Amino acid sequence: MSQMMTSQVPNIHPFAHYVDRLISGGTLLPDTPDNVVEVMGALDSYGIVLDRYSKNLIHIADHQFLVLFPVFKYFDGDISVQKIWQHFCHDRINYEYAEYTMKAMMWHGGGGLDAYLDTDEFRENCQVAIAAKIKLNPVLQVFHRVFPEFLTEQIRQLSYYSGLGQFWRVMSDIFTSLAERYRRGEITHIPQIVDHVKDGLVADAARPITYSVDIGGKSYDIMPASAGLTFLPDTAIPYVESIFFRGTPFLGTVSYNAQAQQISPDKSRFTYGALYADPLPIGGSGIPPTLLMQDMFRHLPDYLEEHYLKSVRGLGDVRVKICASFQRSMFCVTNAALIGLLPKGADATDPEDVAANREFLLGWMERLASSQLEQVQTP
Amino acid sequence: MLSALLLIPLLGALVVGCWPSKLTSERAKTLSIGVLAINLVVSLYLLSQFDLAITGLQFRESIPWLEPLGLGYEVGIDGLALPLLIINSLLSLVSVFASDNDVRRPRLYYPLLLIITFAVAGAFVAQNLLLFFIFYELELIPLYLLIAIWGGPQRGYAATKFLIYTAISGILILASFLGLVWLSGASSFDYSATMAHGLPWIQQAVLLAALLIGFGIKIPLFPLHTWLPDAHVQASTPISVLLAGVLLKLGTYGLFRFGVTTFSEVWVDLAPYLAWWAVISVLYGSLAAIAQTDMKKMVAYSSVGHMGYVLLAAAASNPLSYVGAVFQMLSHGFISALLFLVVGVVYKKTGTRDLTVLRGLLNPERGLPLIGSVMVLAVMASAGIPGMVGFISEFIVYRGSFVSFVPQTLLCLLGSGLTAVYFLLLVNRAFFGRLASTESQALEQDPVLPVVTWQDRAPALLLVSLLFVFGLSPSWMTRWIEPTTTAMYDAMPIKLEITVHPAYRSGRGDVSETGGVSVDLTTVATNIDLADLATCSDGDCDL
Repeated sequence: MSQMMTSQVPNIHPFAHYVDRLISGGTLLPDTPDNVVEVMGALDSYGIVLDRYSKNLIHIADHQFLVLFPVFKYFDGDISVQKIWQHFCHDRINYEYAEYTMKAMMWHGGGGLDAYLDTDEFRENCQVAIAAKIKLNPVLQVFHRVFPEFLTEQIRQLSYYSGLGQFWRVMSDIFTSLAERYRRGEITHIPQIVDHVKDGLVADAARPITYSVDIGGKSYDIMPASAGLTFLPDTAIPYVESIFFRGTPFLGTVSYNAQAQQISPDKSRFTYGALYADPLPIGGSGIPPTLLMQDMFRHLPDYLEEHYLKSVRGLGDVRVKICASFQRSMFCVTNAALIGLLPKGADATDPEDVAANREFLLGWMERLASSQLEQVQTP
Repeated sequence: MLSALLLIPLLGALVVGCWPSKLTSERAKTLSIGVLAINLVVSLYLLSQFDLAITGLQFRESIPWLEPLGLGYEVGIDGLALPLLIINSLLSLVSVFASDNDVRRPRLYYPLLLIITFAVAGAFVAQNLLLFFIFYELELIPLYLLIAIWGGPQRGYAATKFLIYTAISGILILASFLGLVWLSGASSFDYSATMAHGLPWIQQAVLLAALLIGFGIKIPLFPLHTWLPDAHVQASTPISVLLAGVLLKLGTYGLFRFGVTTFSEVWVDLAPYLAWWAVISVLYGSLAAIAQTDMKKMVAYSSVGHMGYVLLAAAASNPLSYVGAVFQMLSHGFISALLFLVVGVVYKKTGTRDLTVLRGLLNPERGLPLIGSVMVLAVMASAGIPGMVGFISEFIVYRGSFVSFVPQTLLCLLGSGLTAVYFLLLVNRAFFGRLASTESQALEQDPVLPVVTWQDRAPALLLVSLLFVFGLSPSWMTRWIEPTTTAMYDAMPIKLEITVHPAYRSGRGDVSETGGVSVDLTTVATNIDLADLATCSDGDCDL
């Protein structure tokens, strides 16, 4: 019975044509000139924004270690009257968005990073670092004795700050180099974008993820290299899973009624990620996607701005437009990740290998069925 | 001075209509705005020159015209006409401003709008019955044309229906005026509040009934209202603004000016029935509004309901309720004009007013967030939320009418509650939720609406500010109205008994029965005591 089911699924699956397209070297996002401009513009500005986010996350992890009231955490150590004034005038990057993302990632967990944070080794590392940090602070010493889990949990969170910071460092570099190639005229089609992202992910797949802090002139390892955490399985895949697929119900963007079971109690069945989000409700103050779109707007390349100015509302609804373009670009990144993760490789020719790849992709299409994949097919 | 207010729009109409060279639509609009801006400035100057100490007519002008007919150019204003005159100047300017920049046949359109301004102002200042009637009828023609030429798909039907109804209204009013003059033996049509005194009750009743039906069509009251929703739905936005904001007020103004004080003997006898009529009108308008799916029809039915409050207050016949009646006219003028303006912007941008289609217009990026917010404020004002002008007017009306008609007032209060129901339905359907995709856009990622310009927003924001100004400081409005309405009340030879709690009645003199009138009437002395309960002195309402 089940044999018959699996053999028939590939033929009757409504998204089977996307799988065929991917197997034959096509992309999830249609290869049109408009899409190239939108995706490139979005990744261009996103690369710049990610660079700032990444630097700030790593700054918080390294220099705001166990600072209980990190008032100046968004200043990257550069505290001046002028910068404080700019901050109050909101002439700044919305670093809050990076923290929302970090928290969503931490909440969903998954991968080696999450697993390592629950090991005894990590706990021991924490104890050493905490002891060094609160050596001269009797109040915190008493506090730590009464609530031994509190500071440890803070360090788990700081580990995610660092992990996401390192992940975005790589992504920022991939997008920045892609944007440079586009400016040089080397990128004209969507498959080239997907290839570039895929190559970047593959090149850095084994990059180690480590975290150590400097306390009193001495370095303390929180996540040592010996833990064996690496870029692709321990940060990239959990990130894609939690941010692209599961995500967070952003309050204010859409109203969810949890009592009416509109939010699944099972985290793994969440579909609020970047690939599923409806770009239209964006624009309210303080809502996380809006924060990212504001930041991207600050660094929007001229060619994308010109492209937007040709549309009905011009820049009047620019944040929704950026979000829609961003979503298209994220389908390219997902596409690159899927191709990179194909069990038999992208250039498999043996029919059995192709069938295995096909089976693997159909499993993902199952998850993408309720995403915005259908919507991004139209111009 | 008053003649200037009539001449400015009339000359403006002539200039725009007879402009020697080719006149573009935008040029004609600019010219009309200029004319009406001068008109508004002159109106405001009139306001500054108005003497509150005089309760009678001011700025009187009298020129003999057709003496054999009894027609004379007799104009003057008091605290009843002055605010209506100013709201007319203001809303005329707003409606011209809100007109499309590329309106068809501008050399006809703008002169017609200016003639409406002229005719309505003329009706408000006329102190000769025949002159009033001429202005009242004069306003029909441009309005008919404005609906019939620039209206929606069913414009012919709506315009003709409007014309027939309002022409009958005019005939009844003319008949009543003629009867009044002939029966009273007056030598001319010059209006005087005491004209009908001394006429037999039955004659007065017939004359008043003709006036009631005539003005009842214009107000409109149930079941004479059926022309209004059709006219509104087919009229373009600026015309709806004028129609709801000013033209309906001609009905209540006429009833109040020529019905209440002139026929006070009959009026107080009929008052309880009139109050019930108001209740029916209010409840019918409100319930009908709930059932509508066209935003404009909903607002039009809400007008039927809200104009019923004016009748309730006028029927209650005490100094406070009279202030309430005039206040309600003005507040309804602001609020309904604003509602129609906003609905007009929604229609212009989305191409539909259908509440089964519209969704999520408050969307901050792609919808009409500012216009949506204005809509929320307008419906709040209409539903009588404190701090806004609707609350003050409804409160004065209810506070005034409660001492006369308890059950009727309570039932009309229900109408206020229903206002919140239908307007919340409207706001919830059209403005909340996800922005809707239309059929053609269903496949695209997101629907896109055209941008709202400041030209669309400015008049709406002006009216919103007035909602708050008069809602927070109602005495700025009542100070003009109150001396006149109190004087009108004092001039009524017979007053309505105030049905108060027995505790108030004891020790307050006798409630005597005067012969010749079929209901209990208080003596004047008693009435002064009782009137303390609901009085309004020194321009400050003793609420």
